Amino acid sequence: MPRSSGKGYRQRPLRRYGFFIAVAGLVALLLLQTSPRLSEGVEPIRTAASDQLFHVTRPSLIDRLSGASARERQILELEARVRELAQYKALALTMAERLEVYEEILNMQGEPGGAEVTARIMAETNGPFAEALLANAGATNSVAEGYYAENDRGLVGRVVQVGQRSSRILKVTDFNSRVPVMGEASGLRAIMFGGRDGLGHLTDLPEQGEFLPNERILTSGEGGLFPRGVVVGHVRGGDSKDIRVDLAMLTGQLSYVRLKPIISITPPEENPVETELSSLIEEDPS
Amino acid sequence: MTGVGGFADSFALRWENARPRSRLIIGVMLVALIGLVGLTPKTLFGVQLSWPYIGLIAAVGWGRSGMAFAPMAFLLMFGFAQDASQAPWGSHGFANLLTYGLSVIVSQMADTERSPILSFILPVVTLFFGIMLVWLVASVSSGHIARVTPMLTAYFATLVVHMLIAPLFDLGIRRGVSGGAAS
Repeated sequence: MPRSSGKGYRQRPLRRYGFFIAVAGLVALLLLQTSPRLSEGVEPIRTAASDQLFHVTRPSLIDRLSGASARERQILELEARVRELAQYKALALTMAERLEVYEEILNMQGEPGGAEVTARIMAETNGPFAEALLANAGATNSVAEGYYAENDRGLVGRVVQVGQRSSRILKVTDFNSRVPVMGEASGLRAIMFGGRDGLGHLTDLPEQGEFLPNERILTSGEGGLFPRGVVVGHVRGGDSKDIRVDLAMLTGQLSYVRLKPIISITPPEENPVETELSSLIEEDPS
Repeated sequence: MTGVGGFADSFALRWENARPRSRLIIGVMLVALIGLVGLTPKTLFGVQLSWPYIGLIAAVGWGRSGMAFAPMAFLLMFGFAQDASQAPWGSHGFANLLTYGLSVIVSQMADTERSPILSFILPVVTLFFGIMLVWLVASVSSGHIARVTPMLTAYFATLVVHMLIAPLFDLGIRRGVSGGAAS
């Protein structure tokens, strides 16, 4: 039940004055904040008040029930990671440009490129006998035996059989595959073959030196089966006698592979250049 | 049901006999509670929820009881608490106080207790005035027209909450209204 207040009449002017003074004070406060210097001065107060008043990062009950807070946290983490990776990407692009310039200055001879083909994997054989892939590119696409296959992460295998429109790729995970590899940091050489556990196993290890834990493994290029420097994987920590390699290609997609030719560099004696001195030697062997 | 009904009756009786100061304190606690919850991010199954301007509801409710220092002080305080988010200091307090003033004037001009239509329309208008003030201050202080849609959704949320909890902001006094009309 509402009560009437008699003394309200007497006090009303005072209240009205108070009201108008308060409104005028607020307007003045708002106008004062149009000055950037004053605005900067009150910002610490806002920060302190924010810290005390809210815990924005603390999820609300509704968020906890609906699972939104976990998702938001995950999104924030992923966004932070994307930002970090974007920095690395920018750095990598800059370095690649610089490398290109340096190579041009030094007149460095790059490896000649060949006909590369991107092929779709039509079938996969993961039986007890062989681990192979069937790609939809063959002799008509200039694919030949000895081509090696890469996916977006690293070495997949080597073309061992070529048909007109298809080719069979022996995966590096096959027991019979032998890939000459080297440690990126240690520079040690070894031969890698596929194990039953889906990992690469290193054999023919050097007597001196050890592969570093988590070291990247690249193809060494020895034997001419694979070019040098193709990413194979990284060393999995464990027994120094039985070194295993986490294969990089398994972390990528295997629906498409890039088939690349091996560019063999022939020794000079196999393809000599005719000079005046050599012709004189041929004419007068004595 | 009897238990719940009994509790409601008991609460209504206690509320009827409560003094204006007790009612004011309960109102302040309610504003603080709803306001604090409103400061946290609110999403329901991925949908962002609109939160009512509880300070404006309090301003409209307390304004019906006439002008007094204590509600003004609390409205100023709530305004500063709301400003802590990112608004210029004093902007919400300004809106709260002017809404309070409008509510006082409207309540003294119209007999809302005897006219259900007026008792429905006047808070709608007063709250709209308050929201418009917030929008205006936001637009002026930011130097560009503030977004209207969030303000509208907040306005409707404020209206709905006002309909639910408006009696809790009745201080139970009618300053400037004759005793006969109040009884």
